[in-house]
Amino acid sequence: MTPLIEVRNYSAWYGTQPALGDISLDIHEGEILAVIGPAGGGKTTFLRGLNRMNDLDPGFRASGSIRLHGVELLGKDIDVAVLRRHLGMVFAVPVPFPVSVYQNLAFGPRLNGHTRDVEALAEKSLKAAYLWDEVKDRLRQSALNLSGGQQQRLCLARTLMLEPAVLLLDEPCSGLDPISTAKIEEALRELKKELTVVLVTNNVMQASRVADRTAFFLQGKLIEAGTTQQIFMNPSETMTHEYISGRFG
Amino acid sequence: MKRLIGIASWFFPSLTGLCCLLILAMVVIILGDIALHGVQRLSWEFVTAEPRVGMTEGGIFPAIFGTVLLVILMTIAVVPLGVATAIYLHEYARQQSKIVHLVRLALQNLAGVPSIVFGLFGLGFFVAFLGSGIDAVVFGGRLTYAQPCVLWASLTLAVLTLPTVVVATEEALRAVPRNYREAAYAMGATRWQVVRRVVLPQSVGGMLTGAILAISRGAGEVAPIMFTGAAYYLPYLPKKLNDQFMELGYHIYVMTTQSPDVEATKPILYSTVLVLLLVTFALNFTAIIIRSRIRRKLRST
Repeated sequence: MTPLIEVRNYSAWYGTQPALGDISLDIHEGEILAVIGPAGGGKTTFLRGLNRMNDLDPGFRASGSIRLHGVELLGKDIDVAVLRRHLGMVFAVPVPFPVSVYQNLAFGPRLNGHTRDVEALAEKSLKAAYLWDEVKDRLRQSALNLSGGQQQRLCLARTLMLEPAVLLLDEPCSGLDPISTAKIEEALRELKKELTVVLVTNNVMQASRVADRTAFFLQGKLIEAGTTQQIFMNPSETMTHEYISGRFG
Repeated sequence: MKRLIGIASWFFPSLTGLCCLLILAMVVIILGDIALHGVQRLSWEFVTAEPRVGMTEGGIFPAIFGTVLLVILMTIAVVPLGVATAIYLHEYARQQSKIVHLVRLALQNLAGVPSIVFGLFGLGFFVAFLGSGIDAVVFGGRLTYAQPCVLWASLTLAVLTLPTVVVATEEALRAVPRNYREAAYAMGATRWQVVRRVVLPQSVGGMLTGAILAISRGAGEVAPIMFTGAAYYLPYLPKKLNDQFMELGYHIYVMTTQSPDVEATKPILYSTVLVLLLVTFALNFTAIIIRSRIRRKLRST
């Protein structure tokens, strides 16, 4: 089976500071890939490289190759705005816009000029994000009135409105309570029937709970990647074992 | 040591309190003096009639009309230009580029130029250069725009207040969290969509604050309009953009320095100053109401 995303020899720099060195990694369709590792190890840079959010950083540079369905994503002729709709992103801190819940959801479709069927899609996305029951009567209220956990699920639903092929999550549960975290994890398990998830997480247990495969990043290098079971039960590198068992990080 | 701290703990608070009182006293004395003397001559006739008998009789309606017209034209000119400049500087331009550096330097210097220099600039650039150019090209050399008029005066004021608007707008743009921009970009927004749908709605209040500051500054300036359009005395109201106009601040200047009978104009002078303050306040108040309307509208949608 050919992988959905093929990352080959991907390196990245912020100015002269190397951030990622020579990453090669496959991401398969319909899986949840967890990216774990200590802070500053390049997890987020890797994730933001996939939808080229790093390009917003003036000093950023990258080399190598990232292919999605065989199409090179690092090419100059790639329309990054279109690319980012295919690889939707959710950030560590929930960022609802200070408008109503519904307008948050309609933001993405409106960018593309879609105005039809937005309500049906909004309901579907909210259900997929396990938020529908909590907000179905508050769609016209400000999104800022929601709790932190609800805001993050709204951001997830807002990203799903784009109907992306890949969902990129950057520590989406880092500031959330256990119940909201459980809801998001449940949502991810359902979502992988329709799309592919890359989950950057600081929480090793979260990776073991939801991920099909896990990749371990350390100091800008990919130490190893494999099925979550293999990484957790029988890692080939001692570094991986030490990180997972909590000896550093 | 302990005693010193004891003294300091009542001395410095008293000193700062005294300073506050001093400022309050200055405002109260100035405003009180103007209000007290100004209200004596204030009447319906005074604000609706023209000046008569060498400005010792009658009212100041042409000057009120001219001031309001001047400020409105200035606002129409300066707000779009200033906002567009700030958006370019903050959202589009590469921050390290030479041009951006130069534009910022120019704005900072513009803010420090004495207002009389703006008056001379307006005379030289707008009246003599632009005006003559327009006359030569459009009106076949007939004198139309190559003279001081309300258009050139308001544009001169617009140049004077441009730094205020740009700085206030940039401040407002800077206050929009980076998170919002990132979230919009991550949803596939183009740069213009980010500006149009995320940044502008968030910062429109701050931009209007810039407009309000510009109005406050512009409405009180006399020097920039002396050579560029304000008239000593006009028996009619300006009807076209190339008409001259009377203005409250300039009218006050004229009555104080040029009047043949200073004692006779004194009550009128006081009332005119009072009216100038009220007009400035009214213009500001209008802008503040417009701002709060727009803010409420944005919040509800």
